[in-house]
Amino acid sequence: MASPDQKSPNVLLQNLCCRILGKSEADAAQQFQYAVRVIGSNFAPTVERDEFLVAEKIKKELVRQRREADAALFSELHRKLHSQGVLKNKWSILYLLLSLTEDPRKQSNKVSSYATLFAQALPRDAHSTPYYYARPQSLPLNYPDRTTQPAQSSGSSGISSISMYALNGPTPTPQSLLPGQSYQAAGVGDCLRQQLGSRLAWTLTAGQPLQNSTSKGLASTVCRNLPRSRREGDTTGSVEITEANLVRDILYVFQGIDGKKIKMCNSENCYKVEGKVSLSKSLRDTTSRLAELGWLHNKIRKYTDQRCLDRAFGLVGQSFCAALHQELKEYYRLLSVLHSQLQLEDDQGVNLGLESSLTLRRLLVWTYDPKIRLKTLAALVDHCQGRKGGELASAVHAYTKTGDPYMRSLVQHILGLVSHPVLNFLYRWIYDGELEDTYHEFFVASDPTVKTDRLWHDKYTLRKSMIPSFINMDQAKKVLLIGKSINFLHQVCHDQTPSTKMIAVAKSAESPKDAADLFTDLENAFQGKIDAAYFETSKYLLDVLNKKYNLLEHMQAMRRYLLLGQGDFIRHLMDLLKPELVRPATTLYQHNLTGILETAVRATNAQFDNPEILKRLDVRLLEVLQGHFFLSILYLQVFTRECMSHYLRVFNFLWRAKRMEYILTDIWKGHMCNAKLLKSMPELSGVLHQCHVLASEMVHFIHQMQYYITFEVLECSWDELWNKVQQAKDLDHIIAAHEVFLDTIISRCLLDSDSRTLLNQLRAVFDQILELQNAQDAMYRAALEELQLRLQFEEKKKRRELEGEWGVTASEEEEEIKRIKEFQEAIPKMCSQLRILTHFYQGIVQQFLVLLTTSSDESLRFLSFRLDFNEHYKAREPRLRMSLGTRGRRSSHM
Amino acid sequence: HRAYFGAAHRKARVLRNVGSVRLLFEISRILNTGLDMETLSICVRLCEQGINPEALSSVIKELRKATEALKAAENMTT
Repeated sequence: MASPDQKSPNVLLQNLCCRILGKSEADAAQQFQYAVRVIGSNFAPTVERDEFLVAEKIKKELVRQRREADAALFSELHRKLHSQGVLKNKWSILYLLLSLTEDPRKQSNKVSSYATLFAQALPRDAHSTPYYYARPQSLPLNYPDRTTQPAQSSGSSGISSISMYALNGPTPTPQSLLPGQSYQAAGVGDCLRQQLGSRLAWTLTAGQPLQNSTSKGLASTVCRNLPRSRREGDTTGSVEITEANLVRDILYVFQGIDGKKIKMCNSENCYKVEGKVSLSKSLRDTTSRLAELGWLHNKIRKYTDQRCLDRAFGLVGQSFCAALHQELKEYYRLLSVLHSQLQLEDDQGVNLGLESSLTLRRLLVWTYDPKIRLKTLAALVDHCQGRKGGELASAVHAYTKTGDPYMRSLVQHILGLVSHPVLNFLYRWIYDGELEDTYHEFFVASDPTVKTDRLWHDKYTLRKSMIPSFINMDQAKKVLLIGKSINFLHQVCHDQTPSTKMIAVAKSAESPKDAADLFTDLENAFQGKIDAAYFETSKYLLDVLNKKYNLLEHMQAMRRYLLLGQGDFIRHLMDLLKPELVRPATTLYQHNLTGILETAVRATNAQFDNPEILKRLDVRLLEVLQGHFFLSILYLQVFTRECMSHYLRVFNFLWRAKRMEYILTDIWKGHMCNAKLLKSMPELSGVLHQCHVLASEMVHFIHQMQYYITFEVLECSWDELWNKVQQAKDLDHIIAAHEVFLDTIISRCLLDSDSRTLLNQLRAVFDQILELQNAQDAMYRAALEELQLRLQFEEKKKRRELEGEWGVTASEEEEEIKRIKEFQEAIPKMCSQLRILTHFYQGIVQQFLVLLTTSSDESLRFLSFRLDFNEHYKAREPRLRMSLGTRGRRSSHM
Repeated sequence: HRAYFGAAHRKARVLRNVGSVRLLFEISRILNTGLDMETLSICVRLCEQGINPEALSSVIKELRKATEALKAAENMTT
């Protein structure tokens, strides 16, 4: 550091002293010592170290002096100086120059500066003589550290105006000069020294013990001055305080630091002037009004201090804190300006005019706007306590709905900053599908435990509390969907297309201001952006699903195979499976069934289907259900397991119904084939007739059921689904449509819990059909056996007759008759069996119909009409009649 | 080498400093601080060493007042 051009500060100071005093080093020793002490004790500057602030002040000062040309020249010079960039402490030297500046209008006085000084000293002495006793409280002289403050004298009107006039006027006024002249003349030197000393005492920071100072000259006058003033202060009795002191205190209180007289009162939670200080009510009032600022500042400061360190508070919270900090910084800037103003007055003492002095009233006016700001901020802080993330943004947003444009713009600015992280999350999410939300602030939540197969359904959810109030539910859902689609594409479909390709919308970096704009102008830009992203992403996703994964074809395949839409295939499969199905389930084997399935596929139109789909066809055997098996198509993850089980239930039902139809067809075939054969046995005709009647009743029933299932349920729902899928804008629509489809099918097929009784009846009907099949089989077997025997008997008779023997022997004859008799005796048994069957069946059907008519579903009621179109059952069942009647009446009412 | 460069560097800086002091002198003249070139350069150096400008300005003012007062006293007495 000790370079040749950098002499030690002491040497430089000594040079300075010599130059200014125009004396040799030895003569200036006293002043030099004083200078060293002053500089040594005021080590840290109290003003803000801001070069530009100082430059601005200089410009203002020049303008104030009506020297605009010089101000321009100064800014030019300053610019040059700045561009050179050699000096480190430019603010410092500029500040020095500013504080040394003198108004050229006073230049003319320069010669008579002695007079000015003289006059300067005068008013104090003028006070001390005639007005001293009159105004002891506002006496400035009592305060050694504040004697030269112009603000102080503002309390007393007459004297201050005179003194000020005397100070600023071109010449000292005779009035002020004359009375004190004689008094003053004697002790001019003393007085001057006194003045210098008192100033020095202030510069040396007020509370410093001066007694141990070693200097003899200037300091000794200080010592002399100080005790005297103290003593005088004591004699007035109570602790007094002037407005200037209050101003200084208030400036500290503004920063949340207790002043000397104004202290934080914990019990009342506010700043108060100490009780024992005597103060006029208006001053006390003004002070407490001003002190509110400090309280507000403390509140905000406490919040930001607490939250800044809290890492878990999240980005939104941090940006809120940053916004608050920014506001506080503005506030500090104001305070520093006030401080430097005060400082300037202190420095220049009486040189400055009254108009620039600080008073409480002035402060009140100047801090009016900042106070509103701080109040708003404090209210915000209160409101945002304990909130984070989107919730916090909502809280801030709630405050933008105020009528005051000033407040609104402030809160909107903060909202812009606060919502900036939210917006960043949002853009990351809707454009890249990435969720970098370490502190759970965004309104989309992701569950890392969810595997990819449940990604669409469970992985991402909306955090309702975190949705900022400026985003409505609809938008939030769309946002969720966009990101989900992108993630689905990436993780499930393994489609690595960069999102920019997917989305044509230009993605731009948003500044906080844009953010605020977007959120306030929701109708247009933001909504548009979300809509565009939503549209593009969903479209792309659907395209990928359709083209790459053949979603639509798969759905059709479901319909065709699981819901038995492909008639020829199902029919053929059933033909092939018939021998397998009559066997008990325990003897069925998976591989056999698979073989059969493949045969069926190859033999029917199914072979032309997409191999991708056929690969998924599989036969599954469910041991529990006797004779029933499952034909299933394993599917994309989009359709969940639950979905699959629904499909299987429907399939199970449809398969049963189909099988019943098949069995009835068999029965009918039996009728047709055997009718001719059994004509020769007239005793059977009654039974046969009964059998036919029952069978056709069943056929009618099953046909109607089939019709209902195929046309009323499946085709209608399918058509609806298909339309919806074609129009679907996103995957969620498709899934929703599909779910609706499944739900309708399940409820219409009586598979839901509401129609359990109906389903039971239907099952019973099916059981009756199976029983009929069995009974009829047994009957036919017996009949055919009998027929066979009879034919054999006849044939034998004929052959013997041809051989010329007796056709029958008596024993044979007897045996034959006995057998026929036995058979004929068995017929009534069959008859009664059939009758019982019929009875049961009809009972069940009636029950079923009763249930149908009371059903709430329109289509089911229509089914009951169809099943009982000729009112066959109605005639038999009084309950049915009644309910049909009431329904008729009800419908006529309607 | 290092010493040489060090010296050259320092010289260049001094030259530039002179330029800065000229500029500051202009500013000082505009502001009517009443500082001459010599005093100003002392002040600049002091400021560069990080001295509190507030204190420095008060010292200068007091010194000036002291000189004037002394001169005045001398005038009065003579």
